[in-house]
Amino acid sequence: MLKFDIQKSFTHKQTGQTSELHFKAQVNLSGVCAIFGDSGAGKTTLLRCLVGLEPCTGAIQFSNKTWLSTDSKQLLPTEKRRIGVVFQEPRLFPHLNVQQNLQLAVNKAGHTGFSIEQLADKLGFSELLSHQTTQLSGGQKQRVAIARALLTDPQLLVMDEPLSSLDQGSKQLLLPFIKAISQQIPILYITHSEQELFYLSRHMLLVNDGKIEASGEPQQLFLNSDLSLIKFAHQGLILNVSVKGYDQSEGLIKGCLELQTLYVSAESQPDSEQIQVKINSRDVIVALQPIVGSSLLNCLSVTVEEVHMDAQKAVILTLQLGEQYMYAYITLRSFNKLQLAVGSHVYAHVKTMSIVN
Amino acid sequence: MFSEGDLQAIWLTLKLASVTTILLMLFAPPLAWWLARSQAKIRPLVESLVALPLILPPTVLGFYLLIAFSPNHFLGRWWLSFNEHSLAFSFSGLVIASVVYSLPFVVQPLQSAFVHLDKRYLEVSATLGYGKYERLYKIIFPMLLPSFIIAGALGFAHTIGEFGVVLMIGGNIPGETQVLSIQLFDHVESLQYSEAHQLSFMLLAFSVSWLVLIYGFLQKRQQRILNA
Repeated sequence: MLKFDIQKSFTHKQTGQTSELHFKAQVNLSGVCAIFGDSGAGKTTLLRCLVGLEPCTGAIQFSNKTWLSTDSKQLLPTEKRRIGVVFQEPRLFPHLNVQQNLQLAVNKAGHTGFSIEQLADKLGFSELLSHQTTQLSGGQKQRVAIARALLTDPQLLVMDEPLSSLDQGSKQLLLPFIKAISQQIPILYITHSEQELFYLSRHMLLVNDGKIEASGEPQQLFLNSDLSLIKFAHQGLILNVSVKGYDQSEGLIKGCLELQTLYVSAESQPDSEQIQVKINSRDVIVALQPIVGSSLLNCLSVTVEEVHMDAQKAVILTLQLGEQYMYAYITLRSFNKLQLAVGSHVYAHVKTMSIVN
Repeated sequence: MFSEGDLQAIWLTLKLASVTTILLMLFAPPLAWWLARSQAKIRPLVESLVALPLILPPTVLGFYLLIAFSPNHFLGRWWLSFNEHSLAFSFSGLVIASVVYSLPFVVQPLQSAFVHLDKRYLEVSATLGYGKYERLYKIIFPMLLPSFIIAGALGFAHTIGEFGVVLMIGGNIPGETQVLSIQLFDHVESLQYSEAHQLSFMLLAFSVSWLVLIYGFLQKRQQRILNA
């Protein structure tokens, strides 16, 4: 259990205004806990306070250890907290080659659950061990930085948008790796990518305006219209679908969504009976009758629950199917033409969707 | 090739430069670190005092040191309380003077390296488990090694070229205070031009190759590391 209640105040040099950050939450240490929020919300500051790189007041408790307690004047320095940190940028030491950079972590930590060779192999940089770090690409450097953090024998791994500046190939290699690692070491993971959030984590802290606005399961928070998340949610929601079968030849899952049939493309048969799919609100076509003679696979019978106009004069429809909801993003013109209103019964055609777990 | 007197002067100069450099390398790094990082109000004053020998005529510095070395003043009195001979006109006096005189040449390259050192490397070191001091000598020192060598090399070379201060406080005692530059001056005064040529050329060749090493190799290497 990681428990914290910390404050930090900033004085802006130019305006002289002070702003107050106050983070308070409890996190169970298993798997990945995502820290999600807009840029400037204070995610990185929160992480730096937890690691001990940023002075703050209050209390931080990790398992039964006190990392910080302003009341009892206790402060455990960063080097004693045993946190593996992966920063946004790799921060490898420029005077050492790859092997020496990693060795620096091993020298201090002694025996760890990982070896340099093993990690280099898994992360695909075995042939780079003798290279100077300046010869490496951004993706290669970040892989080395992840290995270095793991070699410190951490009891907690902290990652600050580690994939944000990487190419798609590196991301596809690293995401499953990070997920697998989280079975051994709990991870705090800053991101503002929904894809990473839903893929990696079962728990999230929503950071907004210098506070922890909410914590809980990502799916639940995304459905809560009281939270600042709603602007993300309007882009698309996650739906729970039960798996009824898989057609190998067509690569399609036949699923059931609130008693209606839904087909989802998948490379292989899903492991679980339940999958979660994300339907982007711009991929939903709303029609008064089912569209026939088209390539569209999925047609869902839904009711308009809520109508919301956004700043760009587009309309976001909240569509209800049984217990679940989805959003459709349509133009004002379409909205007027179809004469939609709350309570209208329409057909939602879904062009594409993605499985998030 | 060199006369016995010349060899003695060369030996004495090397000894003086070595002792001075070792002393400077002990306390210049913490001082440079403080100058690079401190927000204290007194910092600009300390920085100015350190830089003073760069612009002060060496004779002025030598004059004040000579006064300080005299038994009428604290330093000289304190020294005489456990030494038979005065600091003035002694090798020890030369060492003290050289340390003051060469201080900026050692502090400034170090200070510049510490200023350009990205604070993020210190943070990473902490997350790797290295404590406050351990990270300095296990990670930062190797990283800035070229700057440390430059600082030592400049301090050493500058001490070798010292003249005015030595003349004021050291005089011209063979084997004790008669360093190369003084010996050279002697040769010129007594119109021994070929001896003067030999010593001058040696000092010139040394200085040029020393500086080429510093600016052509070490400095480039350090910049590559700091700009990475």
